[in-house]
Amino acid sequence: MNRRRVVVTGVGVVDGHASGVLSRLLDETEARRLSRVCQMTVAAGRLALADADLVGGPGLALVVGTEFGDMVSTIRFVDDYLQRGIPGLSALLFPHTVMNTMAATTAIAVTARDLSLTLNAPLVAGELAIARAAAAVRAGRIDACLAGGADEPPRTVVDIYREAGASDVRGEGAGFVVLESLDGARARGARILGEIVGEAWRALAVRPHGVGRGTRSKTIAAALAGADAGPGDVGVVYTSANGDSVREEWERTLLERALAPHRPPQRSLSLTAGRHSGLAARSIATAAAEADGGLALVHAVARGGNQVAIVVAGAGALAA
Amino acid sequence: MKPVAVTGLGVVSPFGAGVKAYWEGLSGGVCAIRPLTLIDTEGFRCRIGAEVPDSIGGSTRRSRADRFALAAAREALDDAGIGRADRADTALIVGAVGGGMLEAEAWYWQRARGVTAPPPRVLASCFPSSHVDVVGSALGLGGPRETVVTACSSGAASLAMAADLIADGVVSIALAGGVDALTRICFMGFNTLKLLDPEPCRPFDRDRRGMSIGEGAAFVVLEAVEHARARDARVYAELTGYGMSTDAFHVTSPHPEGEGMVRAIRAALAQAGVSPADVGYANAHGTATPQNDRIEARALREVFGEGGLLVSSTKSMIGHTMAAAGTLEAVATVLALGHDVIPPTARLDATDPDIPFDCVPRVARELAVEHAISNSFGFGGQNVTLVFRRSG
Repeated sequence: MNRRRVVVTGVGVVDGHASGVLSRLLDETEARRLSRVCQMTVAAGRLALADADLVGGPGLALVVGTEFGDMVSTIRFVDDYLQRGIPGLSALLFPHTVMNTMAATTAIAVTARDLSLTLNAPLVAGELAIARAAAAVRAGRIDACLAGGADEPPRTVVDIYREAGASDVRGEGAGFVVLESLDGARARGARILGEIVGEAWRALAVRPHGVGRGTRSKTIAAALAGADAGPGDVGVVYTSANGDSVREEWERTLLERALAPHRPPQRSLSLTAGRHSGLAARSIATAAAEADGGLALVHAVARGGNQVAIVVAGAGALAA
Repeated sequence: MKPVAVTGLGVVSPFGAGVKAYWEGLSGGVCAIRPLTLIDTEGFRCRIGAEVPDSIGGSTRRSRADRFALAAAREALDDAGIGRADRADTALIVGAVGGGMLEAEAWYWQRARGVTAPPPRVLASCFPSSHVDVVGSALGLGGPRETVVTACSSGAASLAMAADLIADGVVSIALAGGVDALTRICFMGFNTLKLLDPEPCRPFDRDRRGMSIGEGAAFVVLEAVEHARARDARVYAELTGYGMSTDAFHVTSPHPEGEGMVRAIRAALAQAGVSPADVGYANAHGTATPQNDRIEARALREVFGEGGLLVSSTKSMIGHTMAAAGTLEAVATVLALGHDVIPPTARLDATDPDIPFDCVPRVARELAVEHAISNSFGFGGQNVTLVFRRSG
């Protein structure tokens, strides 16, 4: 099978580290009519496309990962009904109760007319979206893709999690990388930030919402095999650590076993701005910058067993 | 696309549990749309829908939607004869929208009225992603797990994504499907948009007044053809192509010319390597809203020309089952190919003159068809078309 090389040509993230950009990136109608999470998603998409110097059209695909969708609007839709009865129901809010609302509004805003997918998963949604998009570019199914995620955790849900003992750090934000085939990027003279050289996603045998005791995983091995690399080639790992100590310990053990005897440094971006599905884009871009000349692994594993591994090379490796 | 074999089917529908009940209902032209009992409909213009009968069973510690998903997924795997060893590397892709929202709503409604009940266990399952965890864990599926939300085309998108995993050599077997239980939000929302007919829906009829909502689940086992052949599996049909496109036009309305739909249908046919003239049947999205049916017919006419193609809507019998619709209709298409019977559009009396197709009114039609398509379109202009070829 003729498989293409997949490169990162742009990145855009809107969260606590990039405040004040929303008003600059949205038009008046979007600022008035879109929900906050849709606004962040549209803004992040525009940032990433501008960074890649790419415009939308029939050849641009979109893959959005999310844990919560637009749950804030969903709760508002319900609250309006509970307070005012049938007259309180809003036809404008209803479409936001479906999780693909961020993809729908972003596709319109940036004219992404190829396939558009919204992937829902706890914790790993952004990484999953990027891995799925990379596989689609690699197989030649799509040419260019905005891939990443968005979340705005609703207060009600976070409170319920807290009451149940959750200790993880959550944030709001949206982020995308632009993925293209290497040939396509070179043909248009694009600046290349890095390369996704391998990706895999699998499920570990765990009960729903649970953390596993097992430490064997095929995911990391599959991603490394796709990259034609071994554990010793990984210079740094970006993990999904976000304050859930039990899950973090499991992730640490999975990584140690998969990469043994090597023990590359492990970092997480989740603990500074809080974890959200858009953070995966920043992890990929940061990993590519740090891995220049080598390889970095972006890894995430969720309660329930969904695991994603993405092997990233720096732009310097493309000369080889 | 390298064809993928369909080797197992599983259904939970308003006709009850099982593929047999589903096909008997569809081929008999039975309408399962009735007054709703699950949720309070007082004061709403439309008060009907297609509910799954109570006989599905399963632990009430699970959400209604999780129970639907588990029952349909188990039937599909058993039907395909996929044993424990093979399941360890089987992918699971689920299209979903409502998740366990029905139970979450009940708790939230009570809480708003001052009843301080602790969150029930099922609240942890309120998101669509719950289904892959519940089904994957219960059935021992260790391959990739994904939950896709493309609104009303989610169930069709799941099959396309599963086919990709097989084509890429990631897995040899994938379980793909869609599920949705009725929710208050869905019922209230479509009422608010004034898209629901107070009477059972009448797709393609010149007097149609909107859709009816429904619920259910369906799963198919997709398998690399050579893998199915090697284990001598029964093959219902082959998924030979799909097309996915986005209108990028409006959040709820399809492009008025059906431009995105046309791109999806053409991409699917191109991938399958078949010409429009090769296709004998289209299982339409066919919601029965005046706008959707007219635009879908325009798209079909653009690709296939007038006449020739038989077009019918499963939603005339089981309502619009949201994320489950794409898979339930894919199963209907596969069964139509296998039985040489085209399911009808129930309650269709006088076809809209703007819809220049034989829409198989009221009574199923005996006809052997080589290739068939199934259309699914969702909010956000998310278009998916699947192409199936009869087995053998």
